[in-house]
Amino acid sequence: MAQIEIRDLGIDYRKPKSNEVFSAVDKVELSIEKGEFVTIVGSSGCGKSTLLMAVAGLVNLSRGSIKIDGKEVTGPGPDRAVVFQEASLLPWRSVRGNVKFGLEMQRWSGGDLNERAMQMIRLVGLGRFSDYHPHQLSGGMRQRVNIARALAVDPEVLLMDEPFGALDAQTREIMGTELLRIWERHKKTALFVTHDIDEAIFLADKIVVMGRNPGHIKEVIKVDLPRPRDEAILDSDDFHNLRKRLRAHLAEDMSSMQLVKEVA
Amino acid sequence: MADVTAETAATRQVSFASLRPSREAVVGTLAVLAFLVLWQVAPSMGWVNGRFTSRPTEVFFAAIDVFMKDDFLFHARISLTEFVAGFALAIVVSIPLGVLLGTSKIARYLIDPPLMALYIAPTLVLLPIMVIWLGIDMAPKIAVVFLGAVFPIVLNTMAGMSEADPRFLRMARSFGATKLDIFMRVLVPGSLPALLTGIRLAVGRAVLGVIVGELFVSQAGIGYQINLYGSAMRIDRLLVYVLIVSAFGYTLTILVRSVENKIRDWRSK
Repeated sequence: MAQIEIRDLGIDYRKPKSNEVFSAVDKVELSIEKGEFVTIVGSSGCGKSTLLMAVAGLVNLSRGSIKIDGKEVTGPGPDRAVVFQEASLLPWRSVRGNVKFGLEMQRWSGGDLNERAMQMIRLVGLGRFSDYHPHQLSGGMRQRVNIARALAVDPEVLLMDEPFGALDAQTREIMGTELLRIWERHKKTALFVTHDIDEAIFLADKIVVMGRNPGHIKEVIKVDLPRPRDEAILDSDDFHNLRKRLRAHLAEDMSSMQLVKEVA
Repeated sequence: MADVTAETAATRQVSFASLRPSREAVVGTLAVLAFLVLWQVAPSMGWVNGRFTSRPTEVFFAAIDVFMKDDFLFHARISLTEFVAGFALAIVVSIPLGVLLGTSKIARYLIDPPLMALYIAPTLVLLPIMVIWLGIDMAPKIAVVFLGAVFPIVLNTMAGMSEADPRFLRMARSFGATKLDIFMRVLVPGSLPALLTGIRLAVGRAVLGVIVGELFVSQAGIGYQINLYGSAMRIDRLLVYVLIVSAFGYTLTILVRSVENKIRDWRSK
């Protein structure tokens, strides 16, 4: 059995003013194997972040189920950790204090806590900056802290919600390579949400393409590019073909959105 | 990681610049000096009546008098006692109340409107009632200080708690934080700057409470002295006491603000 089993998942929201119900995600079926790096890609509003937050246990399911290692997800748990998009670092804590946060929730303390935090900070290449505060760091460095905080609690599954979405293209590329370097060490199961096609291909063993109205899975694409990977594969033929395929999917979504607009 | 070194360099530059007196400070000092000179010469030139305005030199000698033989310490101790007692009471009551209001929506719906009304109304209007209830000793002044200081602290603590960044709350929950964890590690540190802002605003209102309270009903204290020299037309001594009061309030405010800025540092971007 796969490590993550999502069956017939549906998540409805009630709009705050009109009280009308709309579906953010519907009829999602997905299996993820242990150690797989899965990216979820789609245009905005396709429910990809909602799906990720559901796996994190941070939103309530309306239908269906999510199981991790056979256990039903009913809320957040120590088997999962989330890397958030941005501004989720506590500004009053230093880099080290932020990395400690998740460990404190699991009641680590004293020398162990400190040592573990420092180990993670070094892993993401911020050893010299452990006493800096978030506002003194660049966007890329902040996301390294974010990753260190999640990895510190040693989760079975790493959930990432557009972690590089606010970074410039170049930093984003560097961070992607860095993330893979770190990931190669333990090969934790990873779920990574993005709207960037190149990023989705570069990182993934498997790409989940989502469409909207309501959010659903359009296609799951296997990526057989060899690992470890570096920027060179961006120019390979396989990469080009995958990119073309994903573009077609997203373009389809855009044109259907255009239609909706014109009708309205 | 070249961007890192660039940023450290930038910080260093800023700290160098702060050693030079800013244009703001130079202009400010010059303005004060010009004012003092004008004040000194105006009565001699016949522009104003010196009996009503006094002079900086007269105020200076009056200050020496006040500090040497005017029972200054006696009066200051009474006013200070009223201030400290009222302010301490306000802190003890307002912080728990602000926390309760900031974390419970129901409590907020219940007491927010009357709280707002009391905050906006000048609490000094309650002084006559306080006198009827508490007599003319220190108690009514302590009550007025308390009433002046309590609302800004309650309201700012409440705002700091209830306006916590939802992204921080979600992050904390994702790591399995309990309600207590969220309170201790997210809400409390996150609302500290707002709490200090409340305290800073409260200082001004509390100083006002002491002095005005004493102006109206008292047998001793700084406000009593101001009233006394006012009716005796001793402008020089009156101004000495006014300066003492404003220096006290100013120093306290600056002190709180410097703590505030230190804590707010990490919010600068």
